[in-house]
Amino acid sequence: MDLLRCNSPGVLRTLYTQHFPTVRAHVLKNNGTLSDAEDLFQEAMAVLWLRVKDGTLRPGSDAGAFLFRVARNKWLDHLRSAGHRHMRVVPVEHMPEEADEETSATEERIQRLTEVYAHMDERCRDVLGRFYFERQDLATIAAAMGVEEESIRTIKYRCMMKLRAFHRHIDGHDDTA
Amino acid sequence: MMKKGPLGQRTFEAIEAYLIGTMSDTEREQFEAELAHDPVLRTELELQRENMLAVELGQMRQTLGRIMDDAQADAATAPPRWGTWLRHAAIIALPITLAIWWMWRPAPHERLFAAHFTADPGLPVTMSTPPGSNALIHDPLFNDAMVAYKLGHMAEARTKWASLLPARPHNDTLRFFIANAALVEGRTTEALPLLRTVAADNASTFRAKARWFLFLALLHAGDRAALDSLHLEDDPVYGERVRAIRAALK
Repeated sequence: MDLLRCNSPGVLRTLYTQHFPTVRAHVLKNNGTLSDAEDLFQEAMAVLWLRVKDGTLRPGSDAGAFLFRVARNKWLDHLRSAGHRHMRVVPVEHMPEEADEETSATEERIQRLTEVYAHMDERCRDVLGRFYFERQDLATIAAAMGVEEESIRTIKYRCMMKLRAFHRHIDGHDDTA
Repeated sequence: MMKKGPLGQRTFEAIEAYLIGTMSDTEREQFEAELAHDPVLRTELELQRENMLAVELGQMRQTLGRIMDDAQADAATAPPRWGTWLRHAAIIALPITLAIWWMWRPAPHERLFAAHFTADPGLPVTMSTPPGSNALIHDPLFNDAMVAYKLGHMAEARTKWASLLPARPHNDTLRFFIANAALVEGRTTEALPLLRTVAADNASTFRAKARWFLFLALLHAGDRAALDSLHLEDDPVYGERVRAIRAALK
């Protein structure tokens, strides 16, 4: 979990390789498509990632079981929607039920964070992504983008101020975003 | 309560340093004392934490998306499914394969290396050479090698850069990128002396990164004694990852 907190691409790859097949099998058994399974896995990974970042994952939680539980519940919600009420869901054995009120709060937060990210332009995503996600230093980013280090520092500040203004806007503090 | 109007760059960077853990102990104590008495600063801090998380989450999704696309592309180019008799053969071979895998499975330090190692992205390739310039980054062979490196042709990149070394035997850029290409190829023994030299060079702009890659190379080599003597825990960029690796090694 510590490695996931550090945004290690290797850990994302391992989690996908080890646990996507289970999610895919469940979705395909229950009238879903490969594309549905991929979307669900992405959503479940976002929940897991944010819970790890927040330190709100139960101690000793198994990442695979957590991912599957989130994906299965989301798919169940989807099947319970009007168009699928006639369907019977294939039961899952050996999967302990666990009440998880925090997950829905996490999902609401993810929706809000996604909205904020969608507001960013490509240049800001590139610079901020390298700095905050990949943890590259300013000199590395500057070298990779062929500009001065001070320019990257300024771009980073301006991009974050745009996000701040957007947040103020959606929180009703300002309407300039 | 949120601060009206713009947030100054100094305050922004102070909040950022606090959130990513790059403040010294004294700075952190002062900042926390300020936080305790300033509700506006606390609100700004929470807002900035959320914005940083938004960036990280967006990037995590993109990275995962790329991993999924790669897996789909690999599956699409995989050979056709085996016939029934081959499946039976596979069932027989499975215990043998598992036994071999168990004997030869990567050690924990190798798995940690694989989880953390991402090669340096490289330098921008210049399209033209200013008249009279003999700077390394304007050398066409250096740039050819950089293109090969970015395309993942590490052996080619390494050979081309190595051919430039005799003329520039102490060049840190060459040593750093040859070492990176070697690490991608799993040639850790070749990378180690190059990284050691750059990591010890206080004047090199690659020093901090070379220390991180040296840490990873030592991890890959399983050299625990050398790893323990390389102190990077408090490094503002790599410290968190180093601490996570050390914790996983215990």
